[in-house]
Amino acid sequence: MRRHALAVCLAALGLLTACTAQGDGTGGVPTPGVPGPAEPGTLRVLASSELSDMGPVLAQVEKDTGVTVRPTYVGTLDAVNMLAKGAVDGRYDALWLSSNDYLRLRPEAAAKVVSETPVMSSPVAIGVRNATVTRLGWKPADVTWSQVEQAVQDGRLTYGMTDPARSNSGFATLVSVASALSGAQSALTDADVAKATPRLKEFFKGQKLTSGSSGWLAAAYGRRGDVDALLNYESVLKGVPGLTVIRPRDGVITADYPLTSLKSTNARTREDVRRVTEDLRTEKVQREITARTHRRPVVASVPPAAGLDTARRRELPFPGTRSVADGLLDSYENELRRPSRTVYVLDTSGSMEGERLDRLKSALTDLTGDFREREEVTLMPFGSRVKDVRTHVVEPSNPGSGLDAIRADTAALSADGDTALYTSLEKAYDHLGTGGDTFTSIVLMTDGENTAGAEAEDFDAFYAGLRGDRRDIPVFPILFGDSDRSELAHIADLTGGRLFDAQKGSLDGAFEEIRGYQ
Amino acid sequence: MGIVLAVLLIGGVVAAVVAGRSSEDSGTATKTVRGVIGSEKAEFFEDPDVVKALAAKGWTVRAETSGSWAMEGLDLRGYDFAFPSSQAPAAELAAKYKVRGTLPRPFYSPLVVVAHKSAAEVLAGNGLATLDEGHRGVLKMAAYLDAARADRTWQQLKGAGKYGELTGTLYLSSTDPETSSSGALYLAAASYVANGGKVVASAAEVGRTTPLLHKLVSVQGAQQSSTDAAFRDFVSGAGNPLVLVYESQVASLLADGQHPDDLVVLYPDTTVNSDHTVVPLTENGQALAELLSTDPRLRKLEVRHGFRPQGEATGFASDTSYLQQELTGVRQAPVPTSAVLHELARRARG
Repeated sequence: MRRHALAVCLAALGLLTACTAQGDGTGGVPTPGVPGPAEPGTLRVLASSELSDMGPVLAQVEKDTGVTVRPTYVGTLDAVNMLAKGAVDGRYDALWLSSNDYLRLRPEAAAKVVSETPVMSSPVAIGVRNATVTRLGWKPADVTWSQVEQAVQDGRLTYGMTDPARSNSGFATLVSVASALSGAQSALTDADVAKATPRLKEFFKGQKLTSGSSGWLAAAYGRRGDVDALLNYESVLKGVPGLTVIRPRDGVITADYPLTSLKSTNARTREDVRRVTEDLRTEKVQREITARTHRRPVVASVPPAAGLDTARRRELPFPGTRSVADGLLDSYENELRRPSRTVYVLDTSGSMEGERLDRLKSALTDLTGDFREREEVTLMPFGSRVKDVRTHVVEPSNPGSGLDAIRADTAALSADGDTALYTSLEKAYDHLGTGGDTFTSIVLMTDGENTAGAEAEDFDAFYAGLRGDRRDIPVFPILFGDSDRSELAHIADLTGGRLFDAQKGSLDGAFEEIRGYQ
Repeated sequence: MGIVLAVLLIGGVVAAVVAGRSSEDSGTATKTVRGVIGSEKAEFFEDPDVVKALAAKGWTVRAETSGSWAMEGLDLRGYDFAFPSSQAPAAELAAKYKVRGTLPRPFYSPLVVVAHKSAAEVLAGNGLATLDEGHRGVLKMAAYLDAARADRTWQQLKGAGKYGELTGTLYLSSTDPETSSSGALYLAAASYVANGGKVVASAAEVGRTTPLLHKLVSVQGAQQSSTDAAFRDFVSGAGNPLVLVYESQVASLLADGQHPDDLVVLYPDTTVNSDHTVVPLTENGQALAELLSTDPRLRKLEVRHGFRPQGEATGFASDTSYLQQELTGVRQAPVPTSAVLHELARRARG
């Protein structure tokens, strides 16, 4: 049942969550959308978001080959799902994920690949605040996953990581941790995962930050100050100041970034892919890659950039079947991770009447397929004031009833009144109180500017007066209809959230994107 | 550096060849042949000297790579040849496209295991391998299969404790036997040894050997789909310390001037050759196959890329600290029929 729900939501995600890469930090605006038409000399590449740091390298490749690489960033699982469903055919010319490990578990997707060539590599690692390393008395070269686990259990280490369902770095981290803590000597099995579940539960109690992208994770980490470590690829962690980057001794999973050509493309396109690949593997470009992105070269004659430790690590095998990989993901979402608590502050003012309200209802209804077990969802529709506060929990024993209730409340939404945006936001903070053992956040959907109640300055002052956990609650505003970009960007910046754009893309897409941050 | 130059030169040569068609330059009419090749031959066809040698005979080759077994799924209309890395997929392609006659096999390359030094030493210290001088040795397949059968871990081997990375189940990494030739050939070699030195043919033999083959594959988890990718990972220091690749890939690396200190080549005492087999789809494809088999200049270049041209015992492997000149002490296991090999692969993965 749960697995089915996951599959459905991933399927729904397919076309919606592809987003271009402008800005990955706080205040960045992803633009869900579709790639442009085919153009000779341009490769439309569906790529992992971790590759957004490759801009300068790709500019060099363009100089060398005359081929422009135009990436569209998307989570790995979404990309694989799109490929399997045929949604990549004719829309993209190549695929470039952090790893094709998951892709290989899906025969329908694997059947669409012609060739794949690893371009660079980066292992999963843990980046720990220098001061924390000292406090824990760790010798970075000797740290194991079990030691990390112990520090978490003792309450001496907290960390952030990306959402495994949205980001390959999160997925590879999850598999590394599960493999190491299960004590499995070879590729994980369902039995290994079941056996490791109690330990994994303890381990994920230490996770204080979640994110749909590595960029936002690093920004949120910098802002918070009370999180001790980040789990991510070594290349990402090396870019965050003040971290000691540790590759645990008992093994890691390594991303090898294969540039992948597709059967749905013609021979000329594949020839362009081949030329780009060849150029990426020249010594010159490999040197540039390792110097600029902290990834490791795949050409023996180019040494890794200074600061990348070359001591060997065991490579943990990636699961060999989809049931193990999906099962692990499923238990992470529904069982292992801390649950999320979210208030959806929904503009149902008069201007939403008609098509806009219909779109909101349909997007919210679709979203119910994606809510996790144990998740607490509050709908807070507002006009001139907050109209209603309805809280539902997706109970593991009967997830259907909570979801049905959310759908019923959604269907009952009606549009009238002004737009008391800031007053409603303040109410959302009041409602959430202290977070407890959850990932707590606010989603703000509005189609216009603030026209009633508190003003922007009032909200700034309100936020400045927040203390403790409540200050850590981010607002994820969604641009929709005639809402004001600068007003919403300010709210995102102030609260450490991130702005999502449903003016260019779809409202469903924005809601789905935000899931990675909840 | 070498590769940068290569790419520039390829560009230059292709441009020159194309220009030559319409202007004074060359008297030879240039024919372009298009083909699909196994990834391990990509560097050969990209080598500027190979491009030149082909151009001198009036040919330009446009090749794209694919897993050998995956070629069956491609639409090869408009192509002149397919060039998988073993006979079985070639035979299937020949049947599919109604290609008659003996399929040309210009060169071959045995499967070898590349190992990090630490891993090779531990294998040798535990009777699983013998090491020659330098960077060369022999893997004892029967002993290795016994270890695999017993789920032997590195921790259980003497001397592994010194090396932090040597933990977990001992296994050879191979490519996916259902899509890639080298993975299937690994099963061919292993099943031959497991079947008491006889090629697996009957249903009973298939049944008897598959539990072990399944073990060899399932411990690996997700597998790479091409030997090129597997070898790249090894070179970059990621991945399992024991990886099955083609000898030609190592030879090619060495010919490039690379001599990785931390690389030992273990020749399995029972291995399988990959017979790189051309499936000519047009007359031009047939002519190219002919050329690859007979042209002395191309044969020399094949050796440079680590392939062993058919019918030529000497002159191979200049770098004998890593490679064997002649394959002494290495038994060639015959490959089961295509149907049996498919069945073994399917059951090993399933």
